[in-house]
Amino acid sequence: MKLSELVSLYDCKVYTKDLFQDLEFKYAFCADLMSDALMILNSVQDDTILKETILITGLTTNQSIRTAEMLDVRVVLLVRGKIPSLKVVDLAIESNIILLSTEHTMFNISGLLYEDGIRGITYNHL
Amino acid sequence: MIQKEYQIIAKNYDLAGRASSDIKRTLVALDFPKSLIKRVCAASYEAEINTVIHSFGGYATFFLDDEKIVLEFYDDGPGIHDLDLAMTEGYSTATELDHKNGFGAGMGLPNIKRSSDHLEIHSSIDGTHLIIIFFLES
Repeated sequence: MKLSELVSLYDCKVYTKDLFQDLEFKYAFCADLMSDALMILNSVQDDTILKETILITGLTTNQSIRTAEMLDVRVVLLVRGKIPSLKVVDLAIESNIILLSTEHTMFNISGLLYEDGIRGITYNHL
Repeated sequence: MIQKEYQIIAKNYDLAGRASSDIKRTLVALDFPKSLIKRVCAASYEAEINTVIHSFGGYATFFLDDEKIVLEFYDDGPGIHDLDLAMTEGYSTATELDHKNGFGAGMGLPNIKRSSDHLEIHSSIDGTHLIIIFFLES
């Protein structure tokens, strides 16, 4: 799925317009606890998967951006229409992270994306 | 050889991750393998967040030479009460405020251990000192 399709299908707001690239993504991971995101996504052996992964979260703090940056995940999607503060948007721009938000809840957007063929990340026990 | 030092402020979630972000940018600029950068960043970020949420504040150092990368985290206490419990996946003493900021899943130290080649923890009520080493392949 292209990011532009995600934006138009689910009426996403783009907070980092200057960074926007029409990336293709195939995977998504949901977490509000960033330690979970770090553990699961760090267990992925194939780096190309993370490049095609978006992080779906309700966490509107700097930490969702920092976590995405650490993991080489390029896109953070905020749920439930949450509005990030300017400092979070600034950090996203500085960290080259595309920051989006949707009015859908985490469960609903996950289900919709799954129907669209987007798949989750599985913990790879090392 | 590169050496850097970063201040870490307790309970400051806005700045939490700044040191790890700089370490990542340093390693990316030096063209290290992505898999190594990912491991270093995961350990560094978890240790930095641990210092922010659990300690009275401290600092981190980054050291790089031809053989290894060494991250060290020093804080001013109150120390890890039970190290075995702290190394248990899922165990956490984090507060509601920490959870609201996305942390406290109880995966910090286990993630650091998993990501690194060597982890040494010295802890007392006066503070905790973490030594995290990654050996570079020649």
